[in-house]
Amino acid sequence: MIEYTRSSSHSAPTIKVIGLGGAGGNVLDRLVLDGSDAACVVAMNTDVQKLNGSVVGEKVHLGPKTTRGLGTGGDPEVGYAAAEETTEEIVASLAGTQLVFICAGLGGGTGSGAAPLVAHLARKAGAMVIAFVTLPFSFEGKRRNAQALDALAQIEGQANLVVCFENDRMGEASSPSAGIQQAFVAADSVLSQSIRSIAGLVEQRGWVSVGLDDLAVVLRRQQARALFGYGESDGPNRAHEALERALRCPLMDKGKLLTDAHSVLVHVAGGSELTLNEVSVLMEELNRHISDGTRINFGVSTDARYGRKLCVSILSSTGEAVVSPQAKAVLPKLATAEKKEDLFTKETAPIFEADQEPEPFEELEEPEPVKPPAKAAPKLAPTKEPAPKKEEKAEQMSLEPVNRGRFDKGEPTIVDGEDLDVPTFLRKNLKGK
Amino acid sequence: MGKANIVVGLEIGTSKVCVVVGELKRDGSVQILGVGEAPSVGVRKGEIVDIDNCGKCVREAIADAEDKSDVMIKNVYLGITGAHIQSFNNRGSFVLPDEREKIESADVGRVQEEARTAPIPAHNMFVHTVLQHFYVDGQDGVLNPVGMFGRKLEADFHIVHGVANRIKNSIQCLCDLDIEIEDIVFTPYAAAQAVLDQGQKNIGALMLDIGGGTMGYAVYVKGAIVQSGCVGIGGDHLTNDLSLGLRIPMGKAEMLKIKEGSCVIGNSLPGETVSLRDEHGFAGKEIEREMLNTIIHMRIRETFEFLLRELSKGPYLDYLGAGVVLTGGTSALRGIKHLAEDVFQMPVQLCRAQNVSGVASAFENPQYSTAVGLVKYAQATFDDEGGGWLDWFKRWF
Repeated sequence: MIEYTRSSSHSAPTIKVIGLGGAGGNVLDRLVLDGSDAACVVAMNTDVQKLNGSVVGEKVHLGPKTTRGLGTGGDPEVGYAAAEETTEEIVASLAGTQLVFICAGLGGGTGSGAAPLVAHLARKAGAMVIAFVTLPFSFEGKRRNAQALDALAQIEGQANLVVCFENDRMGEASSPSAGIQQAFVAADSVLSQSIRSIAGLVEQRGWVSVGLDDLAVVLRRQQARALFGYGESDGPNRAHEALERALRCPLMDKGKLLTDAHSVLVHVAGGSELTLNEVSVLMEELNRHISDGTRINFGVSTDARYGRKLCVSILSSTGEAVVSPQAKAVLPKLATAEKKEDLFTKETAPIFEADQEPEPFEELEEPEPVKPPAKAAPKLAPTKEPAPKKEEKAEQMSLEPVNRGRFDKGEPTIVDGEDLDVPTFLRKNLKGK
Repeated sequence: MGKANIVVGLEIGTSKVCVVVGELKRDGSVQILGVGEAPSVGVRKGEIVDIDNCGKCVREAIADAEDKSDVMIKNVYLGITGAHIQSFNNRGSFVLPDEREKIESADVGRVQEEARTAPIPAHNMFVHTVLQHFYVDGQDGVLNPVGMFGRKLEADFHIVHGVANRIKNSIQCLCDLDIEIEDIVFTPYAAAQAVLDQGQKNIGALMLDIGGGTMGYAVYVKGAIVQSGCVGIGGDHLTNDLSLGLRIPMGKAEMLKIKEGSCVIGNSLPGETVSLRDEHGFAGKEIEREMLNTIIHMRIRETFEFLLRELSKGPYLDYLGAGVVLTGGTSALRGIKHLAEDVFQMPVQLCRAQNVSGVASAFENPQYSTAVGLVKYAQATFDDEGGGWLDWFKRWF
């Protein structure tokens, strides 16, 4: 494991969330309405009407001359031109930011056209860029889909990480009879929830913290499709309920998709009442959904604001393993790209280089990405001493295998954070003979 | 024609399926005609986990009961349980329309409906809405408001609800066997009907039904049920603890629990052991008695303490004049009464079904309290309906 020396100025990264186009704006509105904490949000759109209707504080009107305040008419080239016209404003709003989240719905004009450029500008300004993009519903037509895939390829060349959501799968969240508006709202809320929890888990200093490197490990796959699940609960059996809700998220497909995931990132957050026991119960249950070889990146943080709530975020991705023959073929070209990614390559060397795509934009001297507030100093992690039973899970908190006997497979009875199926004398530390 | 006053209670428990056939007498007593039972499979903590196998056990138990009572079983009162079942109290109110000043019986239904508008989770369903007390224009202690003058009728209800799909599993299990379900009853509520008499209910009592997989509780204050629920801990947990703690197979642990186990610690001689004979496939073992009892003691104490914490969240603990009443299979455990007295700090008694006659095994064994209670529940509902069947019955004479 790499340790970073943490200078005081690096303690919390400045985060900005940028919403591009109509879909991006909707996600931001939801983000603001749901109450995001530290991150500043900026809405960028070509359509002045939509921009005015947004509740977001900071707004940038893209290409006032190019589109004269109207939309792009679904043309990415117009979107690109509009963003180009407004380059200065975009750069100004990005100044001094260390971590930029770009969220955009691909397939339309503004999102598909402007997003790669904004990502590029952000990287140039020295920020790390994570893009959250949605692919259009299939009913939106083949043309939009093609535009979206085009744009996705471009963004992948610019952003450090791309989290890609398929609207089709998110639509499953709403019932078949639900109106189209509800389908879009469901998709927006999944997206905003994932931005919120990722921003949260990167900036919150936890007992076992999760850094951008962990995120990278989980999301870096070719043609990755993000699996994201979020659940919270404040009930008596909250660990169990929160996990269940997280797995019920539409992108999770009831946890079935997790079985083929290569690595999974789990973040547990709760108030000061969060107990080690709850965490271990939760992780143990999650372990039933994933295969033995899966690498678990695990984080816990506590914050009094959560009160009784316990929140679980699960992030993973499906997709080709990155070291595919095809990827190897591109490898030599990437010698330069590799360097700037040293942050990631150090840890899991062979995995990352492969997935760097050739830059579609003219090659500029890219600035080094900021050092993420990665692993908190190890002293913060009380149970970090690895119990190296399985090497893949060495980074995971060591979770004692607890013996529940005949209740092993059943639903646990958890009361006040204690798994009552485990014999009382074991929990109270009475030695058996 | 004799069918109408014969009711059947069926409980799908964690350790056994139990069917009690009872005859409701005209004087309000219950005569047990027969009891059928079968060890259950596919039930964990009171909930069905294997519907096919569970169906077979139910069929077996019903056949057994039909044999013993010589009654063909078509309709049953089904007991349901599980830790998902929750309860709360709610008040409903109804203001009479201006042109009317006398309360009609339909108004009582409206009040009940209003009380049911309380929010419960979307996937839950109501199991019971039990009437506690009426208030007419704020006047307390009205027993029957129908026919009284008033503007506003209010009533407190005890509402029991649980996850609909899990309840449906039990129902499905019987539907597969072509058995009609008259009503579903939360088992602690049923057991309370069997073991508590009206006097105990009036002065306040806590009924604990400790079964194989669950412990159900019901609190009565001033004659009405005010709190009920179920914890997913039961005799199975004791067996499991013993098996893990003493490193013996489940079967041996179960036997040891029944034959030798006790909740009292510090009562055995130093070094006193219990020997398990060696048999085919099991090398004998000497078990230290103190260790055996300690494991049992810790589990039961913890469960009682948990329940006490749960109850002390509500206001009712101070109103339990009749103390604690223990029933259910696990209440046969040695010393459980003393342990309960120690934890709850109030008088504890072991109880079996009361006020029934007939097959002695049914009411002498606390295991059958719930199933007998289902029959008593049926009797109570008949009485509430103004003796519906009784009137019908009388016409024949």
